[in-house]
Amino acid sequence: MKMKRYILIIAMFIVAFTSCKKFIDVNTNPNDPVDVPAKLLLTNTTIGTAWISGSYLGRAAAVLMQYNAGLSGDPNDIDVYQMDDKFDNAWNFEIYTTIPNLRIIINKTQAESPAYAGIAKLQMAYIFSVATDLWGDVPYSQAGFATEFPQPRFDKQEDIYQGNGDIKGLLDLVKEGVADLSKPSTTKPTTDDIVYAGNLDKWKRMGNTLLLKLAIQISTRNPTLAKSTISDVITGNTFINDNSLDYEVPFANSTSNQNPYFQYDIVYRPDEEMASLRFINMMKLLNDTVRLNKYYTKPNGVFTGYDNGNNVVAPTLANRSRYNTYVVGSLVSPATAAVPVRIITNYQRAFILAEAAVILGTAGDANALYQEGIKASMKKTGMTDAEINTYFATNPAIVTLAGTTAQKQQQIITQKYIASVGNALEAYNDFRRTGYPALTVSQFAAGDDPNSIPKRYPYISTEAQRNPNQPNPRIRTNVKVWWGL
Amino acid sequence: MKKIPLLLVLSLCFVIQSMAQTKTISGLVRDEKNSPVQSASVFVKGTVTGTVTNGEGRFTLSVSDAAKVLVISLVGYSDKEVTIGTSSQFDIVLLPAESKQLQEVVVTALGIPRDKRSLGYATQNIKAEEIQDKGDISIANLLQGKVSGVDITGASGSAGASTNINIRGITSFQGSNQPLFVVDGIPINNEVDLSFSPLRDQQPANRAIDLNPNNIESVNILKGPAAAVLYGSRASAGAIIVTTKKGTPGQKPNVSLNSSYSFQDVTGLPDYQNQYGAGTGGLYNPIGTTSWGPAFNSTPSLINGLMNTAGQVVDYKAYPDNIRNFYERGTTFDNSLSLRGGDNRQNYNLSLGNTDQKGLLPNTSFKRTNISAAFNAILSDRFSLGVSAQYIDGKQVGITQGNGAGSALFQLFSVPRSFDLEFYKTHYKNADGTVNWPLNTTRDNPYFAAYENPVTGKNSRLIGNVKIGYDPFKWLNISYRLGVDQYTDRRKIIIALNSAAVGGVGRVVEDNFYKREINGDLIITAKKENFFIKNLNATLLLGNGINERVYQNEYIQADELNIPGYYNVSNANKFDQSGETSRIRRLYGYYAQASFGYDNYLFVELTGRTDQSSTLPKDKNTYFYPSVSTSFVFTDALKIQSRVLSYGKIRASYAKVGRDADPYQLDNVYLTGSFGNNVAQFTFPYGTIPGWAASTTIGSKTLSPEFTSSYEVGVNFGLFKDRINIDAAYFTGVSKDQILRIALPTSTGYNTKVGNSGKMTNKGFELLVNANIISTKDFRWDATFNFTRIRNKVVSIAEGVTSFPIASGFSFGGAVASFVEGQPYGVVVGNKYLRSPDGQYLINPATGTFFGSEANQIIADPNRDFTSGLTNTFKYKTVTFSFLMDYKQGGDVVSWGVIANRLTGALEETGVDREQPRILPGVIALPNDKYVPNNIQIPAQVYWQAMGQTSGAGDLGVFDATVLRLREVSLSIDLPKSITALSKVFSDLRFTVFGRNLWYYAPNSPFDTEVNTYGASNLRGFELQSTPNVRSMGASLRMTLK
Repeated sequence: MKMKRYILIIAMFIVAFTSCKKFIDVNTNPNDPVDVPAKLLLTNTTIGTAWISGSYLGRAAAVLMQYNAGLSGDPNDIDVYQMDDKFDNAWNFEIYTTIPNLRIIINKTQAESPAYAGIAKLQMAYIFSVATDLWGDVPYSQAGFATEFPQPRFDKQEDIYQGNGDIKGLLDLVKEGVADLSKPSTTKPTTDDIVYAGNLDKWKRMGNTLLLKLAIQISTRNPTLAKSTISDVITGNTFINDNSLDYEVPFANSTSNQNPYFQYDIVYRPDEEMASLRFINMMKLLNDTVRLNKYYTKPNGVFTGYDNGNNVVAPTLANRSRYNTYVVGSLVSPATAAVPVRIITNYQRAFILAEAAVILGTAGDANALYQEGIKASMKKTGMTDAEINTYFATNPAIVTLAGTTAQKQQQIITQKYIASVGNALEAYNDFRRTGYPALTVSQFAAGDDPNSIPKRYPYISTEAQRNPNQPNPRIRTNVKVWWGL
Repeated sequence: MKKIPLLLVLSLCFVIQSMAQTKTISGLVRDEKNSPVQSASVFVKGTVTGTVTNGEGRFTLSVSDAAKVLVISLVGYSDKEVTIGTSSQFDIVLLPAESKQLQEVVVTALGIPRDKRSLGYATQNIKAEEIQDKGDISIANLLQGKVSGVDITGASGSAGASTNINIRGITSFQGSNQPLFVVDGIPINNEVDLSFSPLRDQQPANRAIDLNPNNIESVNILKGPAAAVLYGSRASAGAIIVTTKKGTPGQKPNVSLNSSYSFQDVTGLPDYQNQYGAGTGGLYNPIGTTSWGPAFNSTPSLINGLMNTAGQVVDYKAYPDNIRNFYERGTTFDNSLSLRGGDNRQNYNLSLGNTDQKGLLPNTSFKRTNISAAFNAILSDRFSLGVSAQYIDGKQVGITQGNGAGSALFQLFSVPRSFDLEFYKTHYKNADGTVNWPLNTTRDNPYFAAYENPVTGKNSRLIGNVKIGYDPFKWLNISYRLGVDQYTDRRKIIIALNSAAVGGVGRVVEDNFYKREINGDLIITAKKENFFIKNLNATLLLGNGINERVYQNEYIQADELNIPGYYNVSNANKFDQSGETSRIRRLYGYYAQASFGYDNYLFVELTGRTDQSSTLPKDKNTYFYPSVSTSFVFTDALKIQSRVLSYGKIRASYAKVGRDADPYQLDNVYLTGSFGNNVAQFTFPYGTIPGWAASTTIGSKTLSPEFTSSYEVGVNFGLFKDRINIDAAYFTGVSKDQILRIALPTSTGYNTKVGNSGKMTNKGFELLVNANIISTKDFRWDATFNFTRIRNKVVSIAEGVTSFPIASGFSFGGAVASFVEGQPYGVVVGNKYLRSPDGQYLINPATGTFFGSEANQIIADPNRDFTSGLTNTFKYKTVTFSFLMDYKQGGDVVSWGVIANRLTGALEETGVDREQPRILPGVIALPNDKYVPNNIQIPAQVYWQAMGQTSGAGDLGVFDATVLRLREVSLSIDLPKSITALSKVFSDLRFTVFGRNLWYYAPNSPFDTEVNTYGASNLRGFELQSTPNVRSMGASLRMTLK
């Protein structure tokens, strides 16, 4: 009897205390892959470039550049230069978390399929240029390497552009990317390249045009380098020279695939901003109302703007001039049509070359390039050839460069500004570099300096919290960036 | 012949019959004062034959001829044995139990009942009467204010909202700090399943809400790691041990019925001004969302909009209750029915409970049905069996809160004082189905959001367990228990066509959570009395436990609906945001406990446990942790006989508890790409093109467990013959090598990195005093007081990191719940307006408003200075009156609600002297580094808008959460026995009226600060435009049938 009991007890011990390795071995993640091919990353980073241009950063620039005026929410704050805590999302989850994805693409493809690596370098250069243009000194050479550099240093803007010692500059990064595109590549992008469908020649053109943009940006501080860089691109003759070659990221009607301007201004926050009275008045003075109507709606046949910074009651939604289909695609939700976010464009290239010819003496007929830029823009907005010709015929003084170098530059930048509706970051860069167009501060301006349009975006509080290398207290927004005026 | 009641458990029927020659005996049981003793159990020793005495103390019993001895027993009296012999009439006198400090048995870890005097650590026992008829349906809320060392804060008054419980402070930086809930020895799940961030969700329940408080016999709170160490990792934040009601031995089948009805009204809203209506700058705006318009009763004119173009005066008046009336009267109907009984070999309990709550918010409700059955039996000399099963069916219907476009509550903060919100209740949509909300065409009418966009959670839960005990020898017990807790919460989230929440296209979400937890424990217990030396009792326990937790979530997001009002996922065009997640984790543990007791006054206990966890790297997944505790009853040891000090015990303990990681923290992974947030969002796939991105979290291949060590010393005193009992404890704890998602600067390309780091300490003092202040024949006054003071400090975080967010991505207008080195856990870091060196606001001389702000400043600390609670219970004959007041000192709350209503000019303070210019408090800096007081006059609107900025600076939205509260009041009347004795239907009947949260006083805040939008979470101290609190009043009837 007792024996039986002991056997039972021993049996229970054996069963219970036999550890089972397999029992514990269940920590394989069934939810998320640990590796994905480069092509799946590229589509995401491409959308990233569009979001950087067309979401928080570009939206704020459009208010600062007085295309739009704020009525409530963020645009209202931006309009009176209260810019703190507006860009955390852009810095954290649009700019910097896109960088390691580009680095992963480069690492995966540099040896066998440099077509991908080249594209990734061009996108990376664009993204870093946005960061440094808006904030000045930013993490660059150490950014995106969490293990090696858990607290990346803030590189100087001049070093980011031009390189310095171990820092490879943006200009060199772009050149390297363009060179990669010419190398033999085992796999090449196809449908995963949502901009150029795998056409590497178009990517080279995008790269060289990006180089023009970067070069003109530093022309205030290093005209020699700017001139040589632009001259080299002109000589190479591979750049965006037709609207069909623009680097613009397409969007779709389907929810979750929609253009950010459409989502913000039509779907989620249509009450927060409308056309600036100042932009409307400027366009009226330039008789440019056909193009204006491509940019902004004309409810009941009247352009109705709102003065920047004003705090009177705004007209009702239906009576406001708001972004027209050129920017948002569809004026109603659900969307009926979609438009791309335009980032590196033909008109932009023409204006850069025109400006470079005027201020740096690079090759090309400045006036012809200036007119090419205006026409490219008008064409892009959907104006007909007849409308464009009429405008040119009736406004010869506007479409012809005249006067001093400064006056010509002002003409060029003013037209580039008008063309840049929907790509306000570039207008904001030009404004801070040249002082054109002549804008006055908003009414009831506040923020760091009520007497000047912000010369930079304020640093990000979450970065400050985690990275002691970010200047704190932050640099005030009335301090110019390195290339700034 | 005698037939014992039928027992039915899990469709098993046991019929036990005994047949023998019988005779009938009868008798009277009296106490020492000659009063008859009711409900004493009378048993034939060694058998199941028995009965209880009636109201006159009499009993009648059929016994077999073989019966030799009767055992008469009742709680509070010494057992009495009487030889039967040939007598058939007995007169028995029961004497009160002699021992002072009645042996108090408490249920400790693994469900082991222990004499409280032997424990070297603190526990607190809450009995059924302390939680029943108190006006709440959630066990967590019902413990509020009663337990020392424990902080309990509900999310809000929203039906079914979760409740945060922290026992002895916060010990884990990012792990759960919620205690483990254990029901009848089996751990159950108490998690909150979020469909979205609580900021854009209804407030879902934590699952302890599934327990029916009416079926709870007692709740024992194991406060420190020493108490909970046998439960291992999961109880490192303490454990709440729930014991459900059992049939009492010697009871005949006992049917009890409980029914209560209560209603709930909103409380804690700030006061609003009623002098000014919609508009800005004193000018009327018919669709304005702020109340900066002209004064009511001002002279009508075309300019101020009080007159229309036809010259007619327009109706322009205050709607004083437009906000308050949005909150409806909630009702709660709660019914329970139970059948229980048993004898000294078996008992059973069948229970049925139903709770039907209509919420405070329109179209919200919480329903719960509990069916449970439990059966315990001693099968033979050697075998015992216990089985129980509980099925819970729950349904929570809520509405979206927070600040998303679909939030019902958010728009309330844009309703001006002159707005007739009531009208929009019945006219929330237009004839064509579009939203009727003139105030903001991109937001939903709150009633549209409430009625058209409900969030429904249907929960089906089964908790079952089986326990088998085997005693091969008298000194050895082997038991095995297996528990399963499984639930499926099926959520349906509807966003109607035309709703602004998703841009008018409509959405149906099916979000299903499946969770299953299995616990199996083999426990071998050996007992030896007079172990080596006389009077030394030893108990050795060896155990082996397995734990498996399975989680599966299926999320179907069906976008772009075609047919209005048809909320089936098949009614959509787009499903590409759907997905699934599953997780499994397993833990294998061995544990041992050696307990020694010498002469019932000196106790020592040693415990050790080794866990092997699936979630850690293979070379680091096995870890050991010990505890030791001792208790010394010095009054017995030293034979102290004092009128004042009747009982005295000192105790001390040390424990270390290890904790594993969440599953799948070791690898770097990739996620579906997405950009943006609720103002513009892109999510892959892009049509049919996929897009992926590296996760912003970096995994760790070298992760190791985190440990919390704690020390506790305490005393228990019984004074004046134990009329006053004092339980005090001082404890310290250190948590080290925390498993963290360490925040990285995103310029690294990543947001967080998994790793071990950080150190945090807790020190605290807790006190519990029970006093029987007056005790006479008819009148009794008892009071219970508790006090808790905890100081937490984040000592270090990670190399080079001095501050980082508790959860990434949760920044509220720049306010981030964080850990900051040298600060208590959970301080809120945000922007603070610039100050002069002596701490005054810097004023901009150009504008007269604040000069600017500085990031990364600590703006709020949600940790309280101390908390205390006082319960008074008065009994006069059969009338019982009881109330609980609690006081919480300190702790901050960041309130978006108040800020928003300052900004909109709706708050009462913004209406005071509005026509008068105001001067912001602060100083103006002069060029010579001197400061002069601000003297710049600004209009009231500019003043209050400066005071009401949520972004830019958050420090003006922070309020001190000090609050005194009348939490519970109840008045019960028991029908006297003399009356119930006449009834053929019931033997006990109690009628109670109760109130909850009837009154509060928050001296430093315009609203009731006892809310937290994040509910049961480590993010504390946020009121993010969610539901206020409720005040509840009701009545209940409790009866036991004959």
